[in-house]
Amino acid sequence: MTAAQRVFQLARRDFTQRLRSKAFLFSMLLIIGIVVLIGPIIALASGDDEARVIALVGDQPGGSEEAINQQADLLNIDVELERFDDLASAETALSDGDVAVVVDGVSELIFNEESSLQLSAAVTGGIATAQRLINAEEMGLSDAEVGSLLVPVEFTERTLEPPSTEQDDAKELAAFASLMLLYISILIFGQFVMMGVMEEKQTRVVEVVLSRVKPTQVLVGKVLGIGLLGLLQMVALAGALLFTVSVADLADIDFGGFGLQLFGLLIMWYLLGYTFYSFMYGSLGATISRQEDMQGVAMLPVLLIVPGFFFGQMALIDPGLWIVRVSSLIPIWSPMVMAVRSTVGDVALWEVLLAIALVILTTMLLVKLGGRIYRGAILESGKKTKLRAAWRSANN
Amino acid sequence: MLRFDALHKRFGDVAALDGLSFAAQPGRILGFLGPNGAGKTTAMRCVFGLVNPDAGEVTWNNQRIDEPTMLTFGYMPEERGLYPKMKIGDQVTHFARLSGLDRSAATESAERWLRALDLGDRLDSKLEELSHGNQQRVQLAAALVHDPVVAILDEPFAGLDPIGVDTMAGVLRTLADRGVAIVFSSHQLDLVADVCQDVVIIDHGRSVLAGDVNELQHTSPTRYLHVEVNGQTWARELEGVGSVSANGRHRYVLDRRSDLAPILDLAARDGEITRFAFEPPHLTDLFREAVRR
Repeated sequence: MTAAQRVFQLARRDFTQRLRSKAFLFSMLLIIGIVVLIGPIIALASGDDEARVIALVGDQPGGSEEAINQQADLLNIDVELERFDDLASAETALSDGDVAVVVDGVSELIFNEESSLQLSAAVTGGIATAQRLINAEEMGLSDAEVGSLLVPVEFTERTLEPPSTEQDDAKELAAFASLMLLYISILIFGQFVMMGVMEEKQTRVVEVVLSRVKPTQVLVGKVLGIGLLGLLQMVALAGALLFTVSVADLADIDFGGFGLQLFGLLIMWYLLGYTFYSFMYGSLGATISRQEDMQGVAMLPVLLIVPGFFFGQMALIDPGLWIVRVSSLIPIWSPMVMAVRSTVGDVALWEVLLAIALVILTTMLLVKLGGRIYRGAILESGKKTKLRAAWRSANN
Repeated sequence: MLRFDALHKRFGDVAALDGLSFAAQPGRILGFLGPNGAGKTTAMRCVFGLVNPDAGEVTWNNQRIDEPTMLTFGYMPEERGLYPKMKIGDQVTHFARLSGLDRSAATESAERWLRALDLGDRLDSKLEELSHGNQQRVQLAAALVHDPVVAILDEPFAGLDPIGVDTMAGVLRTLADRGVAIVFSSHQLDLVADVCQDVVIIDHGRSVLAGDVNELQHTSPTRYLHVEVNGQTWARELEGVGSVSANGRHRYVLDRRSDLAPILDLAARDGEITRFAFEPPHLTDLFREAVRR
């Protein structure tokens, strides 16, 4: 069995043992369940898709119905017209919520509680157009004259900033979701690594392992096993998120191009960010052997990663800010900030490649440093090993 | 042959190993003794590179111990530890895999060892569900599952009940019969005397006595005399003769060539002699003599 196979065997143990743990499975299914359900719930609650019914009572000019429908189309609202015999039955339907507005002749619009500007505009605009057509006909105007009378004023539109499209909204939403997923996953699975290392020290099983596998390989095996578990959860969560977003129609996500690119970015930055932080967590975990000491030691990586979360949020608002550009190259933050920048803004390829290279380089450095701290601390029998002491005793 | 060759190791101001040298032979059981803090655990850790000696080295058949060689060794650390929530069958298989066995060989060997240690019906139990003694057996299985050529066992008898002790001793004898070189440390000297053929006693990081247990006992110039008169331990002061008392037993310390006739006469005057034992030193005596405590 080669060293790589032994590392893989260690990773396999961590992966399968945690996957079999009921607590882990339960929390993972719970989170995915919540994410999957949010979409349909939002879709149900908003109920925007149903056509609103306009009840017509009394006399309106001929052609009103067609004109109202045309106006509604222009206003981009979905309406249905229904004619009622008398005002009383129409009002009953209104108070029952079956219709949205009652049009009484050409004199009154009746709403249940709140008036709707859009519905008013569609009804009044439609009826006015129908009336004008009738008037024009009575005046004996030719079709051409009627046409010129009714020609709409046409404005062209421009915006000072590039217009915000639906695709942009989708990108922003996706970038925010990515930021959250990255931040949470790196922290949670990094802490799993720390806990795993600490438990092996606490139960003393690590000495049995170390009589067969080198310390750095043990650490790599743990990072790999728990990282794969995180990857599994990430894929499941990202899938659940895409599902929920498309069900709720929150954003127009094209699964083929943008969705796939987003997914690739998310996985890549998760792997880079997680690997970096988990080696830090793992080596810190070797310095403690009690659950109570974990809180204090776990603070260091959290303090390092939190600014990255904020820079990531700034990148959502303005990906061009200098602080965003700089922080997206700094390895402790780049996995989050660059992920957001690449999703919402234009980033030069060299910037992305530089950020990746820097994370990989610092991770390699961290494997060396962290491996040494791990080696120096993992067999110490005291309650807590100081980093400097671990560093020095690594040569023992 | 597993040779510890002039090992030196300092932890700060403390010299844990100070030129320790001895050797363990294949097919023999070596008891590794010494007071607390003498350096036993440090020396054992040196075999597996868990501690790097400042000077000296451990060799196997005159070769430095490289990684493939180390994987043919078995180690049971003093501070026991396994994964509490892992099934013992999976657990021992895992360690067999880490020692280089392929999947089927690892599973087969784990089951064989656990059966041999009377845990065949507990393969699917989690470690934490087992009694303390049974957990110790799993620990032994984890150390030996890959059928090592060298077994380094740090305090394997600690915490075992008499039946557990018998099982452990039986396992060690079987291994030695198969040609395994066994080194185990212990504080239970009677046990060591029963189980092992060779002994190394260390103090302050260096070997103070080493050799075949029987030979050491019989070549010792010292003899211990224990006399009982009327069924009671006889403890009269004898001029020019030293004595030791432990556990209510009074024993005179003599040279192996001492003339016993005057002592026999003296004792006979006090009553009926019910016991008159002139013996070579026990391992405990050798130990005390060696570390002078």
